[in-house]
Amino acid sequence: MRSVRAGDEIPALVKHPTTRQLVQYAGAQGDFYEIHYDQDYARSVGLPGVILHGLLKAAFLGQLVTDWVGDEGDVRALEVSYRGVDQPGRAYTCGGRVTAVDGNMVELEVWGQNEAGERTTVGSAVVEMR
Amino acid sequence: MASVLERLRERIGVAGEPVVSIVEAGHLRRFAEAIGDPNPRWLTEAPPTFLVALAPASYHAPEAEQYGRGWLNGGNRFELVEPVRAGDEITATTRIADVYEKSGSSGNLLFIVFETEYVNQHGATVGRVRGTAIRR
Repeated sequence: MRSVRAGDEIPALVKHPTTRQLVQYAGAQGDFYEIHYDQDYARSVGLPGVILHGLLKAAFLGQLVTDWVGDEGDVRALEVSYRGVDQPGRAYTCGGRVTAVDGNMVELEVWGQNEAGERTTVGSAVVEMR
Repeated sequence: MASVLERLRERIGVAGEPVVSIVEAGHLRRFAEAIGDPNPRWLTEAPPTFLVALAPASYHAPEAEQYGRGWLNGGNRFELVEPVRAGDEITATTRIADVYEKSGSSGNLLFIVFETEYVNQHGATVGRVRGTAIRR
């Protein structure tokens, strides 16, 4: 097993979401709320335009963790809070850091940030190493 | 007439109709493509957030839409117990775990916490997903 220590940063994951991807995600998840693909509707409810699904950002953070752990472990928990909205056409950067290691259980802090460096998604994950 | 808040609070703990789905390989592939994750592991196994694609979390609270003008997602928590693989039959059951109101800078907000439990064809709980839906 690889050596994992509290304080380790895990490699960042940069995503480039597009409106097309939001439509793909709406179909794959089955969430057809109009704020994710209809610009006029999104603006009519006070948004700047269509926005990313919170659950798409959660999926990005899931990928951040599974890219790091590979086949050496399984995600046991992923918790995320959405602190701000994100629009397609802008890079979304996911990052994480190991906060605790207890036997084969590893806890991480994870976050997603916009181009301005604001963490619009914050959360934590628990990985069980095999 | 009871307010939306009062009517939803009466439903705390009450399970909605179970939703039964077979995990299809094509659905796993489309989901992985949609999130932009090329990991071949997801050709046969569900990635961490896939369970939400098997049951819409807020499906049994349409009356909440009488409150405010739109939904926001406040947060999600995934608890993953066992792997979910193509071919599994998953039964999802959603309950309202909590309902409360808060006053925000731009008016009142209604928070509805949903919890969905996912059980496979062997009767094992494979995961739980909690979601905080906000009406504003």
